[in-house]
Amino acid sequence: MPWLRWVEAYGLLLVTVGIIIFFSFYGPTSQTFPTMANFQIVLAGQSVLAVVALGTLIPLTADVWDLSIGAIAGLAAVFGAAFMSSGMSAPLAILAAIGVAGIVGVVNALISTKGGVHPVITTMGTSTIVAGVVTQKTGGLAIVSNLPAWLVELGHHTTFGIPALAVIATVVALFAYYLLNHTPFGRYLYAIGSNPNAAPLVGIRTGKLISIAFILGACFAGVAGIMQVAYAGGASTNIGTNLALTGMAASFLSAAAIKPGKYNVPGAVVALIFLAALNSGLNLAGVPPFVNEYVNGAALIVGIGFASNIGRLRERSGS
Amino acid sequence: MTVGPLPLDGTTGPADRGTAVTISQFSKRFGATQALDGVSFEVKPGTIHALVGGNGSGKSTLIKILAGVHQADAGSLGVRGSEQDATAMTPALSRDLGFRFVHQQPSVFPDLTVAENLAIGSSFLTGFGSRVRWKAQRARAVELLERFEVNASPDAELRTLSPANQTGVAIARALQDGEEDSSSILVLDEPTASLPGPDVDVLLEALQHYAAAGQTIIYVSHRLEEIRAIADKVTVLRDGKLITTTDGGLTQGRLVELITGRSLEQLSHRKVETRAFSNKVLEVEGLSGGAANNVSFSVSAGEVLGIAGLMGSGRSSILRSLFGVPAPNAGTVRVDDKPVHIRSAGDAMAAGIAYVPEDRNGMASFSDMTVLENLTIADSRRYFKRGRLQSRSERADAKKLVSDFTVKTAGLDHPLTSLSGGNAQKVIMARWLRREPRVILLDEPSQGVDFGARADIWKLIARAVAEGAGAVVVSSDFEELATFSDRVLIVRHGAIVGELTGSDVTEHNIDRLVLMGSEND
Repeated sequence: MPWLRWVEAYGLLLVTVGIIIFFSFYGPTSQTFPTMANFQIVLAGQSVLAVVALGTLIPLTADVWDLSIGAIAGLAAVFGAAFMSSGMSAPLAILAAIGVAGIVGVVNALISTKGGVHPVITTMGTSTIVAGVVTQKTGGLAIVSNLPAWLVELGHHTTFGIPALAVIATVVALFAYYLLNHTPFGRYLYAIGSNPNAAPLVGIRTGKLISIAFILGACFAGVAGIMQVAYAGGASTNIGTNLALTGMAASFLSAAAIKPGKYNVPGAVVALIFLAALNSGLNLAGVPPFVNEYVNGAALIVGIGFASNIGRLRERSGS
Repeated sequence: MTVGPLPLDGTTGPADRGTAVTISQFSKRFGATQALDGVSFEVKPGTIHALVGGNGSGKSTLIKILAGVHQADAGSLGVRGSEQDATAMTPALSRDLGFRFVHQQPSVFPDLTVAENLAIGSSFLTGFGSRVRWKAQRARAVELLERFEVNASPDAELRTLSPANQTGVAIARALQDGEEDSSSILVLDEPTASLPGPDVDVLLEALQHYAAAGQTIIYVSHRLEEIRAIADKVTVLRDGKLITTTDGGLTQGRLVELITGRSLEQLSHRKVETRAFSNKVLEVEGLSGGAANNVSFSVSAGEVLGIAGLMGSGRSSILRSLFGVPAPNAGTVRVDDKPVHIRSAGDAMAAGIAYVPEDRNGMASFSDMTVLENLTIADSRRYFKRGRLQSRSERADAKKLVSDFTVKTAGLDHPLTSLSGGNAQKVIMARWLRREPRVILLDEPSQGVDFGARADIWKLIARAVAEGAGAVVVSSDFEELATFSDRVLIVRHGAIVGELTGSDVTEHNIDRLVLMGSEND
């Protein structure tokens, strides 16, 4: 049934539009929700999350779950801020922070491909260690002093009403889209995700590609960490935990939109807007903050639910 | 002192004890295939009754009806005088009737102990608060092991046992509750397929003891020498029909005739002309890897080399080692006279070797990816130009492949799962043959595909070798091998034990060398 496939592909987008319309006209939020200010706040805040989500999406296409992306983003934020506040030049500090993130990616890659430890366990372990490193480095205190003014300004800068952070996130998303859809690398990652046993038999070097995916994802997390420093005007110690699960939820939910049954970049963007609109609307409607936790937790479960039914979805959409 | 599930009464022979199982008029149809067509036979208690037939003869279907996995379309099943409707079989009913099954790869748990494996088959002996009474459990295991003559400690982990003893444990587990009751019927489905030679003898001897003690056994096997050694009765099926039920002790030649439905003269008839070859494309010397041990052979341009052997003979290991999955332990390989060092599939592909594996779904299909992606996955890189995948030229090539290889598909963007088995196999063939390989390795290329697609697949192989490649084909369908191969190697225990060339390449000769294990019979 063609309409059913259409609903599968665009259902989440439709629901998102519905949510935006609802909160725009719903009494308690009609004054605050559909405003430029709210739009900019939500967009800028969601941009950091978007880059984290894209960082998890790259290994996820090969069915490799990287739970450490949020923690790595927190690590990069703290290191980037610390480098800058100790007087290192900003571009160098940013590169060094992304480098630190990349090193965690290398560690994840080595442990899971050479060491044979399941990626979920590997990244759970490294993200816990990374959280420890963050606490050790900061002593539990946020780093806010002596940051370059232009960076903090960037966090709130808008061009024609579009936040600069959203522009960065868009560039990252386009890059991820290019990698996954227009290069053999992306094709091979999907092949590994589809059948990890068959992939080596067509000459795909699965260990090498999974390693690259881990490292790329970690570098994305590094970028997200720096964006967070700009957005918040400093690095607090609990960034990672806030980003990790919502980012995962968005990348899992991507399989429920645009290209049903396949983790995909446009789907992840739709999922991010969906989560942002819903959370923002609820906040403005005055629901207590714990409701957001309900929403994000439920989104993660629904996303993984879609992911684990991927085969069935795909089969149906083909017949 | 007797051993076995039931004390010998010593006075009456098997023939006088009536019938253990009566199968009457079993019929079953799957789509267009009549898998079973009015099959009837009787099994006497305390006998080993062999059930033989080629691929598609219906013997698996019959076993599955007995197990309650399938329901017959018509027929009835008599067990000890009670009459059951064969169209209403269920696994529970099968168990109540006393059927006990041990399959090809016995479903034992290698990391658990023998006692635990035995306990899983029935129920754990439990005490207060569902606590497992391990002591009692262990005592029962000791008793069972003794009764079934399995030489193992109950505390040993199962994987430390010899293959024959592992199968013994599986049999003991299946029959353990028949202690006071001789009514169970043991059904063994190719129990020796993965056993090494000496273990087979141990198992067969044990089975004969069980039967002598009154156990009824239905025995399914491809290995005719085993049938000859232990079967009291033999039922032969072919194309879903009962051919005969006869006493054991037939010559293997006669059995081959009954199974294939062709006389030995017919089977000996050569089907393809003998051709002469000159240019060798593949030379293999001393190749070892997996089950294959020190194998040497060569293939010429334009030649189809068949490899025949039983499951576990090492026939698949030869192909896998040549493709570097995993890399061979030893041996030299030359393609077009150039030595190639194969450590991975990538090396093999670079040397011009292609490999179509046996397990299509597990090892070749990217089922949720599109037909197009499946066609081009082995050379996605060639479309990566000017910084991106050139999807237009990729699509044009894929379209051409679909028509070239006569793949029936609703569209290039549909997932591979939407295709039938035969068409999916053609996609895999196209994936490899488009690379114009020098050497094509095919493991069971026509397995699980319908008749029409089967012919197409062989045509594709013929076309590829006509263009100058050499093909190495493993198949358990010996008729097919005899029809399409120029030469056939026989593999046993990882080594090449025979070669058929020219007019000797016949189904009979392959059957004889593979099944009988000797040159004379």
